[in-house]
Amino acid sequence: MQGSLTPLSVLGPQAEDERRRIRQQFEAGGSAQDALQALCALADKTAQQIFGEVLRVHNTEPQGLSLVALGGYGRRLLFPYSDLDILFLFGNEKAEAEFRPLIADFSRTLWDLGFRVSSAGRTLEECKRIEEDNAEFHLALLDRRFLAGDEELFDRLTKKILAGPEKQARPFLLAELTKLTKERHARYGNTIYHLEPNVKDAPGGLRDYQAAAWLKQIANGQRDTLRNSVGEEELAANAVDFLSAIRCFLHYSNSRNDNTLTYELQTAAAERSLGMTGVARGAKRSPEEWMRLYFRQARILNRLLLRYIEQKPAVQPSLRERLFNVARGARSEADKGKPFAVRDGLLEVVHEPALSDRQVTFALFAEAARTGVPLSREAERAIFYILKHPELPQKNTQINWSTLREILAADYPSMALRPMQRLSLLMDVLPEFKAIDSLVVRDFYHRYTVDEHSLRTIEHLQDLAEPPDERAAHFRQLWKTVDRRDLLILALLLHDVGKGMAVENHVTGSLEALESAAARLRLSEYEIGEVHFLIEHHLDMSETMQRRDIFDPATVSIFADTVTTQERLQRLCLMTYADIHAVNPEALTPWKAEMLWQLFVATSNHFSRTLDRDRLHVSDEVPLLEEVSSHAGGANKAEVERFLEGFPRRYRAVHSAPEIAAHFQLYRKLGAEPVQTELKARHHSFSLTLLTADRPALFATISGVLAGWGMNIVKADAFANAAGVVLDTFQFVDLHHTLELNPSEIARFQKSLADIVNGKAPLDPLLKSRENASKAKPPKVAVETRVGYDDTSSAQSTLLEIMAQDRPGLLYDIGSALARLGCNIDVALIDTEGQKAIDVFYLTERGKKLSQQKQELLREVLQSTLS
Amino acid sequence: MMKIEAIIQPSRFESVKDALREIGIEGMTVTEVRGHGRQKGHTEVYRGREYTVDLLPKLKLEMVLPDPLVQRAVDTILKTAKTGKIGDGKIFLSRVEEAIRIRNEERGENAL
Repeated sequence: MQGSLTPLSVLGPQAEDERRRIRQQFEAGGSAQDALQALCALADKTAQQIFGEVLRVHNTEPQGLSLVALGGYGRRLLFPYSDLDILFLFGNEKAEAEFRPLIADFSRTLWDLGFRVSSAGRTLEECKRIEEDNAEFHLALLDRRFLAGDEELFDRLTKKILAGPEKQARPFLLAELTKLTKERHARYGNTIYHLEPNVKDAPGGLRDYQAAAWLKQIANGQRDTLRNSVGEEELAANAVDFLSAIRCFLHYSNSRNDNTLTYELQTAAAERSLGMTGVARGAKRSPEEWMRLYFRQARILNRLLLRYIEQKPAVQPSLRERLFNVARGARSEADKGKPFAVRDGLLEVVHEPALSDRQVTFALFAEAARTGVPLSREAERAIFYILKHPELPQKNTQINWSTLREILAADYPSMALRPMQRLSLLMDVLPEFKAIDSLVVRDFYHRYTVDEHSLRTIEHLQDLAEPPDERAAHFRQLWKTVDRRDLLILALLLHDVGKGMAVENHVTGSLEALESAAARLRLSEYEIGEVHFLIEHHLDMSETMQRRDIFDPATVSIFADTVTTQERLQRLCLMTYADIHAVNPEALTPWKAEMLWQLFVATSNHFSRTLDRDRLHVSDEVPLLEEVSSHAGGANKAEVERFLEGFPRRYRAVHSAPEIAAHFQLYRKLGAEPVQTELKARHHSFSLTLLTADRPALFATISGVLAGWGMNIVKADAFANAAGVVLDTFQFVDLHHTLELNPSEIARFQKSLADIVNGKAPLDPLLKSRENASKAKPPKVAVETRVGYDDTSSAQSTLLEIMAQDRPGLLYDIGSALARLGCNIDVALIDTEGQKAIDVFYLTERGKKLSQQKQELLREVLQSTLS
Repeated sequence: MMKIEAIIQPSRFESVKDALREIGIEGMTVTEVRGHGRQKGHTEVYRGREYTVDLLPKLKLEMVLPDPLVQRAVDTILKTAKTGKIGDGKIFLSRVEEAIRIRNEERGENAL
């Protein structure tokens, strides 16, 4: 060895002074890029000086050793506390052995001067081999830059050694980078919208930009899609500047390589308008407003990367589906009428000019929501282009409720809502949502911005189709069978909108938002009422299960009084499940999921077991009386009172005032015609309301007529008022499309129903003709018949609960058996779940509960009839 | 120093927490647990499926306190967690030999 190294006491202060100068310049408003380059220049200068000195001290020449800067340092972008990634490149193994002691001195000195050296050593030969378990190294090598030592060796590495392997390894590197990116995104919940984001590694962070740059470099212009427009490049460069300034600021503030933008640092960053330049720098922004700017920039970088890494469909297509997709895609292209097609499991726009018609764009979203096939990033890009060029002719820019409903009611609503949000179209459709766009509300439990939380709730429900874990299993059936899913999804979109409004309680704000959205979209009174209920009570179920004893019947009873109907309970339970789940990945513990399920089951059972306990007494319902009377054109209140008195309270809960008024109008006609019916076509089914005076076997007769006409009953309610007027509502599926395809049959069907109920026509021939026409198909899932009684829940009736294989004519068989044994149906609740019929009847025999003997006899009869 | 482990009804948690705060106890560990003592579970039927709840949801509170505070804390928990019904839970006390604050390695009651 010759001489000694320049003492640290000399080099240390020099490096420190330079670091201080760079920091002061940045904090005085200098650009981050200048700071990063200056830090890099300082590192270069110091590394080169130390390297020169260790060569001198070791009395050697650098032939056979090259120092190569990698990663961010290779790109000349060195953040204040980032590692100094250096590759020691050796000509051969002998050189490696010789230079080891020198490298140790070099690294130690740099460490002592405050540089965090992260080093790797490779011989030229070793660099040829692509290490399959170390893709990160090969990616970092893409940013290599000669630093010091044997320059010829570095040139050989670049021009001779790596040219071939890097080209060959292209598919491997692309696949690995895609995999690493997906893993990284998954670690951050696949969203940029974190309340305290990591500006380097989270989606939308600087790493996204770098990954996009690597993808582009690896592909080396092989893919046309990797070309960006000048505008896109400029946006990306600005976003990188913005995020670089934040990361630089975070390093200085934390005095370490910590890239988390915490609440405290958000406030500090907003105060100094961090990342702003020119006039924008002067404007004062609240931390929330400043964070919105951050998310806007993060969105640009994230979009840039995701264009290269296409997302997978919600449902992975099987080989068969993929083959079908190809065939379908080809057909769609051939069909000029349809401007989009499925290719490689993604929805692509085939005819881009068609997007100037917003109806086409929404049809594209509806298709994604219906099928679970995501839009390709290129399709999004095409929509974005049209939206950003208002000078292009556009038509049908207003969405109506029926189009939005189609998206919200589908199996995969989020497949449409996500791209709609990314394209700001969601805010066109629901301007109320703007209040929570990228909104940070600070608390200890939530992990995401308010809009992200809201969209996640919907995704958690969508995932219930294939329950991802034990917690979700119970709720799957609720999601599959929930009535008016669109109203639930609309409530989820709006439930936290109040958090972005200047109101004391966010629920009040969210209800105001509903009011304006409902007026614009022209929601019906019923729809507004149901969404209003969900928003107003969206925290009730969670509070009840956590703060009340859910095993206490009194708790269940009070909760049930708030909820009022089974339908609302089902939607509220799903909403609560999703709302807790979307707070953060750990929020819905199996413990909480179990509590929620227990409360749901207890309340659901409470509804079906207490139906006859609560009857309407019109003296307590003056507003209802007024409302019905007014909807019925100012009808006589005493007459309305006679009609309403004594119906179970559920009747009031499941029907709106205008519907009750319509029932009352039918009731008034009973004098002229003793059987009144009303038939309405619904989504995929029909709804029949029938009013008449109570009579033996009425329920069985109506069920028989429906069965005779080939209708499958999926839901039914049977109620009676104090005067013995029966009001039955049946929801049924027209199995053979008789009414759907032959509108003239509707009148004949209603007449046949009235005649048979009135005894003017026999039922048997109708049933016989159906028996001959239909061939029973074997059930897909066998359901065991179960007959159970509950003698305690009702004071007057015996509850009969039947679970059986659903089939056309089932209710007729049950109803006939009940009638034959002299059982009177006070109330009936009929439901189906897939191929299982779930029926509850409140039965009396001569005004009393059924005797034990009668119960046993009935059980035998039903078991033999239904099995 | 004593460690208090209290198994309580989830519905009583807010009251217990507030009452403990009033006597100056803010630090505790809360765990969601399931179990049963003399209060056995029950079976609910929903749509033909039986759901047996043999392990009931409870919350477990754990806190380590200096000796003079222990009795007051126990009394407070007893008073606020009690509903008088089976299933109100239990309190367990055990002696703790040492406590160390990881941040600055303070020991004993100073670390609490």
